Amino acid sequence: MTHDVNAMTHDPAAPEAADTPVFSVGGLWKVFGPKAAAAKVPGSEHAELAPAALREATGCTAAVRDVSFDVRKGEVFVVMGLSGSGKSTLVRCLTRLIEPTAGTLSIDGEDVLAMDAARLRELRRHRAAMVFQHFGLLPHRTVLDNVAYGLEIQGVSRAERRAKAAEMVAKVGLDGLEDRRPGQLSGGQQQRVGLARALAADPEVLLFDEPFSALDPLIRREMQDEVARLHHDEGRTMVFITHDLAEALRLGDRIALMRDGRIVQLGTPEEIVGSPADDYVREFVRDVPREQVLTVRSAMRPAAPGEADQGPALAPATTVVEAIEAVARSGGPARVVDRGRCLGVVDDAALLAVVAGLPAPAAREVAA
Amino acid sequence: MTAATPSVRDPRDPSDSGRPQAPGTGRTRPDARDEGRATAGRRDTREARDTREARDTRPDGDGPTRRHASTGRPAAARATALFSHRAARKLLPLAVAAALLVPLALAFPGAGSWPAQLAVDLSGPLGRAGDWIIDHRDSHPLFLYFFGHVSNAVVICVRAVYTVLLAAGWLGVTALAGLVAWRLAGIRLALTCVAAFAACGLLGMWVPTMQTLALMAVAVTAAVAVGALLGLAAGLSPRTDRALRPVLDTMQVLPAFAYLLPMVLVFGIGVPAAVLATVVYAAPPMARLTALGLRDADAGVLEASASLGATGRQRLFSARLPLARRQLLLGVNQAIMTGLSMAVIASVIGAGGLGDRVYQALASVDVGAALAAGIPIVLLAVVLDRTADAAGNRLGATPDPAREKHLLRRVFGGWYGRLLTVLAAVAAAVAGRIADTSLWPESWTVPIAEPVNRAVAWMTAHLYSGVPVVGGTADWSARFTGWVLDPLRTGLQAAPWWTLLLLAGAVALLVGTWRTALTAVLALAAIGVLGVWEPSLDTLSQVLAAVAVTLVLGFAIAVGAARSARAQRLLRPVLDVCQTMPQFVYLIPVVALFGVGRAPAAAAAVVYALPAVVRITTQGLSEVNPAAMEAARSLGATRSQQLWQVQLPLARPALLLAVNQAVVLVLAVVIIGGLVGGGALGYDVVLGLAQGDLATGLVAGAAIVCLGLLLDRVTQPAKEA
Amino acid sequence: MPARPPRTVRPPRTNRRRRLAAALAATTGLAVLSACGAADMTRQSSPYAAAQGAKTVTLSVQSWVGAQANTAVASYLLEHELGYRVDTVQVDEVPAWDALSQGRVDAILEDWGHPEQEDRYVKGKKTITPGGDLGVTGHIGWFVPTYFAEEHPDVTDWKNLDKYADQMRTPESRGKGQLMDGSPSYVTNDKALVKNLDLDYEVVFAGSEAAQITQIKQFAKERKPFLTYWYTPQWLFERVPMTEVKLPEYKEGCDADPEKVACAYPHTPLQKYLNTRFSESGGKAAAFLKKFHWGVEEQNEVSLMIAEEKLPPEQAAKKWVENNREVWEPWVR
Repeated sequence: MTHDVNAMTHDPAAPEAADTPVFSVGGLWKVFGPKAAAAKVPGSEHAELAPAALREATGCTAAVRDVSFDVRKGEVFVVMGLSGSGKSTLVRCLTRLIEPTAGTLSIDGEDVLAMDAARLRELRRHRAAMVFQHFGLLPHRTVLDNVAYGLEIQGVSRAERRAKAAEMVAKVGLDGLEDRRPGQLSGGQQQRVGLARALAADPEVLLFDEPFSALDPLIRREMQDEVARLHHDEGRTMVFITHDLAEALRLGDRIALMRDGRIVQLGTPEEIVGSPADDYVREFVRDVPREQVLTVRSAMRPAAPGEADQGPALAPATTVVEAIEAVARSGGPARVVDRGRCLGVVDDAALLAVVAGLPAPAAREVAA
Repeated sequence: MTAATPSVRDPRDPSDSGRPQAPGTGRTRPDARDEGRATAGRRDTREARDTREARDTRPDGDGPTRRHASTGRPAAARATALFSHRAARKLLPLAVAAALLVPLALAFPGAGSWPAQLAVDLSGPLGRAGDWIIDHRDSHPLFLYFFGHVSNAVVICVRAVYTVLLAAGWLGVTALAGLVAWRLAGIRLALTCVAAFAACGLLGMWVPTMQTLALMAVAVTAAVAVGALLGLAAGLSPRTDRALRPVLDTMQVLPAFAYLLPMVLVFGIGVPAAVLATVVYAAPPMARLTALGLRDADAGVLEASASLGATGRQRLFSARLPLARRQLLLGVNQAIMTGLSMAVIASVIGAGGLGDRVYQALASVDVGAALAAGIPIVLLAVVLDRTADAAGNRLGATPDPAREKHLLRRVFGGWYGRLLTVLAAVAAAVAGRIADTSLWPESWTVPIAEPVNRAVAWMTAHLYSGVPVVGGTADWSARFTGWVLDPLRTGLQAAPWWTLLLLAGAVALLVGTWRTALTAVLALAAIGVLGVWEPSLDTLSQVLAAVAVTLVLGFAIAVGAARSARAQRLLRPVLDVCQTMPQFVYLIPVVALFGVGRAPAAAAAVVYALPAVVRITTQGLSEVNPAAMEAARSLGATRSQQLWQVQLPLARPALLLAVNQAVVLVLAVVIIGGLVGGGALGYDVVLGLAQGDLATGLVAGAAIVCLGLLLDRVTQPAKEA
Repeated sequence: MPARPPRTVRPPRTNRRRRLAAALAATTGLAVLSACGAADMTRQSSPYAAAQGAKTVTLSVQSWVGAQANTAVASYLLEHELGYRVDTVQVDEVPAWDALSQGRVDAILEDWGHPEQEDRYVKGKKTITPGGDLGVTGHIGWFVPTYFAEEHPDVTDWKNLDKYADQMRTPESRGKGQLMDGSPSYVTNDKALVKNLDLDYEVVFAGSEAAQITQIKQFAKERKPFLTYWYTPQWLFERVPMTEVKLPEYKEGCDADPEKVACAYPHTPLQKYLNTRFSESGGKAAAFLKKFHWGVEEQNEVSLMIAEEKLPPEQAAKKWVENNREVWEPWVR
């Protein structure tokens, strides 16, 4: 499966059409510690303390600090950070597998924090399904029964849920393995089962908690392609947690980069790589092959007179590496064309500047 | 060991749940006790160990990663390092305690013994309570409407099972057992099973075997039900767990003998008392393992289940219980083994069956007859253990996908097979009926009593005394008594009571935590308050001496055995037999060899505790990280260097566990040693049972509990505070 | 997004709760129903009794061999002459009284005198009925081996015992002479006797009769001196001849206060006791057991076969029954 990464980037240029965000998170906190003490931390004078100092002062650990973001319908929202940055806690807060300490949280405009147990179960059963790093499969059940597990919990009749599960098993490419037990499968296959189980409930959102970290690099790549394909086919909203920058850049429409419980930067892969918010992010993205992430949009300069109607035309979402190919073939600058309008041009100097990591003043001019 | 003492104990770490943990300190110390206790039961709870991790809270969100990363070797070395500087710090407060105790000691001067002013004489009230129970047993509503029904139910159940077993006849029972074993574990176990039942018949023990089976079936079913319920409560609610744990811990170290008297008092001699004593004795391991299994269920799976919107009950039945199924089965197995050993001991209170045959044979000093009844017990134990084991493995095993391909075939295959099994067994039973041999034909029995007795007589005749160079067993016995037991007892009894309290506290503190020390000191003080200071110290001296011998022998054998897999294979059946043979059987040859007194009691205790020590130690030694061994070899270490510098230090948790097991097991037998002149607490318990003397028996029983607690606590492997 | 398929949904929770409640109510109801009737557990027989519809008698066997001999012969006759099924239960003496009162045991064939129990069950509750003399007279005493008594004739008087204390010393006797006692369940005043007669001896309990016999035989094989608590009739005398040591003479009432006893043990005519209900409605079996009566020699003959020839009790009984028809015939008539 050769997949163009850009193909799945559902034109982020036109998001305004989206109505209410799927998830809307505002000022969310999760503080671990004795309940009474933990509840006091958000908004107090301790809120700004570094983790060690906070623990010293209150005995609590803040895993998520004052996090706000929206997840738009149909996008792949990646939360990325190193271990200990609070990203796994954050994703569990979304369905209240971990109870947030403070803040607001709504799904499709409905307040999640106000839900009672039954409503919350409803949310978990039908609206948001999760895929786990360690799969969380029931070792005593067959693949088919594992996939059907979510439906079983919903109370779907046996025949119906097995039929549905069989369909999902086929969808994730596990045909013929229905009667195996998880212990007999490879890691990648197990995660496919986990994915099929999540899909079986036909949820509105898929939550992935570092789903591929435990897999071998090759398998991981394959699974990423699988997710990309699913997203491409079904356009389902996804929240994807990872500590792997390459994975984040590969899959994410938007990326929230977390450190010590906070979001330090939220933006498209291009924004993160192209204009890091601070030194931490810069350090983080230093080794990223920029030409594969940045698009011509950030490398172009205004068209000089006459340039606007000659040379090969490129879409704004074309990566630099593809532009280099086009430019090299044509020998001259290429136009960046969006809906018939020429936004600017890229020439070899601008493209090389991206590869070399030099600032692209021209681009900034355009942006300005 | 499997038979007499439940072998699984979970870690009792008070800070286990609810508290958050700082990132980076995910506490994953594999609990040596956990694993070792289970290995003592020849099982592997490694899965349990792996999943031991605080899971309610996950401050850094990356718990699962760390869980796998840091599950390494036990932090023995770290513990030792901690230990040395902590020891000094911990002993400081102890000095303060000493300063407080000394004036108290001066207030009650006199000999070393516990001051009479501080003791409570319970004989009056206890005696009256005993009389009241006996007088009101047939009139008081509590007995008429509660205990009476309990007792009735037990009798009805046992009778029903017994009737069915007798009606099935020996053909039916043997066939059913063989078929079940075959379906669960294959042809080999099936043959073993059939051979075992045939042996019971051949030894002329068919009817007693059926009686014991009937009693066991009822008792173990009840124990499993009760244990599972308790375990469920403890596994799901940390609060219940905290409340239940000390109780289960205590019951774990209680010698079986101590359970009998209260049961006899309420229910009188007979099957109901025996069944209930067995239930009480066999339920704790089940409860413990159930709780352990539920608590240690893979957190990831549970979370996945919750994330799919499962209700609490759905989560319990679809995930938590199935995940704990190995532990549950292990629990059933343990319940069976402990139940079997108790069913034998309960013959003292009229359990009937095989145990009674052993007990009666002992009265006429007939080792051969005792053995004839003992062998079926061993066979039953082996067969039941292996079958339960196989069932457990089958659950864990991966099925053959080709065979399970078709849904219909799978379902019908299973039912069909089961139906066939039952039908075949019924056919065998009917065949037996037609041939009119529902009881084992008498002409088919093989008397083994006489040759065995001749062998025992020869042994005692030739070993008792006058053996050149090493001296006879009588001389050993005299020397052991004179040089080891007597000085130890004199020393303990002469030592001022408060120094003993301090000593117990200090040892417990060095080994464990403040909590441990407190329990130890309180337990010892309780012995004094009960007014059985002297006999308890007498018992203690026997325990200490026997434990020392057990450990020396056990470690030596284990070090030898750990070197070769072949030696281990040869050793296994011997250990199995030693562990499951009722202690009663070898009391008499021991008396014949060592005379009456404390020495034979100690010898019997050594024989009984040795297998567990050998087993745990061997396993600990052979499981030492091969990388470490390889490193040592590559550095040119000699075999003894490897042993002393690598194997033993790394196997430290197993060795500590072996010590703990040795202490608990030795205590159990030293008590039974009351039957062969061991005196002290064991004698008091025997006297209490024999005379229906609640005051003596119950007080001695309580003292045994305290002694057990004390010994258990001061030998518990160190735990981080 | 595809439309969600319709789902068959489980009955809601309230329904399940209702079902649970119903089940609970049913259980409670059952419990109450069954509890309506009082269950007197003092009137329960053993579950093994009458398992196949046979008339069953349960006999108590005490741990000493004499009692086994009684039971073996009685069982054999009950089974082969009267057509009963016999179960035997081995219980210590005092609990056996309790079991007898409850009806878990139908008869005790050899009792050495338990006045306290007699008061409680025979006179008080009337659940136990005396079954008459066994015909054997029992006597407890202190014994030394005859080979030793022959060498030192004066040892048979308690006043000279201290002289031999040294020779009777064992590792267990704390530097004094050893007086070996048996099972704690046996009637004994030995501790008080040693104290009140001011003897240089220590009472060492063997803990069980089996242990005591084993030890005595071992001593005898070595021809070592020993002093032991023992009783007659007992088969061991045939193997290890022993001579009684004279204690201060027994007088009626001299053993009234257990703390102050300083006299010998009495000669006790051994008694049989029957459960009252069994005694009244036990038919032939009860009548037989009441008539069961034999002498010291007969009992010892059977005991010896059991204990020394290691014959199973049934076979010993069979052998005796075959050779002594004239003795037992009156019992079954």
